[in-house]
Amino acid sequence: MPKSMKSILFATILCVVCSLLLTAASTGLQIRQQINVEVDRQKNILLALGVVEEGRVAVDRVQSLYNTYVQSLWVDSSGRCVDAGERGPEDLPVYVYERDDTVQAYVVPIDSRGLWGRINGYLALENDGSTIRGFTVYQHQETPGLGGEIESRWFRQNFEGKKIVDANGDFVSIQIAKAGMVDTLPAERRINYVDGISGATMTGKFLNEGMKETLKRYEPVAIQFRRDESTCPAGL
Amino acid sequence: MGILAKSQSYRAISEALWQNNPISKQILGICSALAVTVQLNTAIVMSLALTFVVAFSNLTISLLRHQIPRNIRIIVEVSVIATLVILADEFLRAFMYDISKQLSVFVGLIITNCIVMGRAETFAMGNTPWRSFVDGVANGVGYGSILIGVAFFRELLGSGKLLGFAVIPEGFYEAGYQDMGLMVLAPGAFIMIGLFVWLEHTLLKEK
Repeated sequence: MPKSMKSILFATILCVVCSLLLTAASTGLQIRQQINVEVDRQKNILLALGVVEEGRVAVDRVQSLYNTYVQSLWVDSSGRCVDAGERGPEDLPVYVYERDDTVQAYVVPIDSRGLWGRINGYLALENDGSTIRGFTVYQHQETPGLGGEIESRWFRQNFEGKKIVDANGDFVSIQIAKAGMVDTLPAERRINYVDGISGATMTGKFLNEGMKETLKRYEPVAIQFRRDESTCPAGL
Repeated sequence: MGILAKSQSYRAISEALWQNNPISKQILGICSALAVTVQLNTAIVMSLALTFVVAFSNLTISLLRHQIPRNIRIIVEVSVIATLVILADEFLRAFMYDISKQLSVFVGLIITNCIVMGRAETFAMGNTPWRSFVDGVANGVGYGSILIGVAFFRELLGSGKLLGFAVIPEGFYEAGYQDMGLMVLAPGAFIMIGLFVWLEHTLLKEK
């Protein structure tokens, strides 16, 4: 057999063996991996709501808390909550946290542009429709140590208790200020700003835009919560 | 000890662990050593993943060494390594999801780690499968020993913890002790690895 034929034959056999191995591993582990991703998503919703603590949480606990207290619903353009079965193509996902027979808070998914890729997270809002209860990031491609700090605890905790409305109750969204600049703002505006990360001005800028855009689309729901007229969860 | 010291396996192991350690002596694999050593548990998992890859890539390549055509040997080596790395990555994502999220791209980047490729090309292509496998494990452990050493000091000094548990007593903080923020950042790893290299070179010279 000529030398080049032998090389081609060897390469072909190697490719087939490698791809069979990888296909087997990928299909064999797929279900487990999907469960992991789903549990991680649920954990982040609970984390934004402050229902679970930071760090490792057992899988069973995440699933049982999520199934007991959180309802995955959709909101239409008028801010009305509907079940997944009745959802229209333009409707937005919302997670409603119900405990002791009252809606305590609701969570909106954040899907924002970042410096290097998408930033995915959850923003939990109190049932007054204007106060932030918590914020988490579960996926991002920002620079570790700089923009990557958006997933760190200190940064996320900055959001707790801040408002997405100004003193008159008008929607202004939440803004990430430059690092250390919050204290230089006038006192009445500080409630709409969180302290930023030094060295990550662009990440903050993109996240500001992404959050503003998301919160604007969710304004109809927020207005209903503010007026205490919310129909979430559906059927109430 | 005399017989043991003369055996080739022993020489190969002690070379990889000490005289010719891949990180502190050959200065290979620095990129991942900087990135995953903020915490001890990511460093341990990364060391295990790399040891698995380098040991089995050495074994596979050594088994095939008489069959691999010379002109495509680098491609073959990379294919074997890449397959093993993807297997390790899939396994981590299925069974250790939290850690695999923290390690993110660095598991995938084992493919480009010079240690793995270097051992396959210089050792496994010319040695028996068993010795190649031992060499792979020894190099993985050599890499891991520095990684875990660096991570130990970075986590201890940078966040006052070991494996996520607080080890610095509260009283120290009340007395004014502060965690060393530099250790959490990449320059901290550079300085730490530099100190390890210095220590090893000094000790080797004295012998």
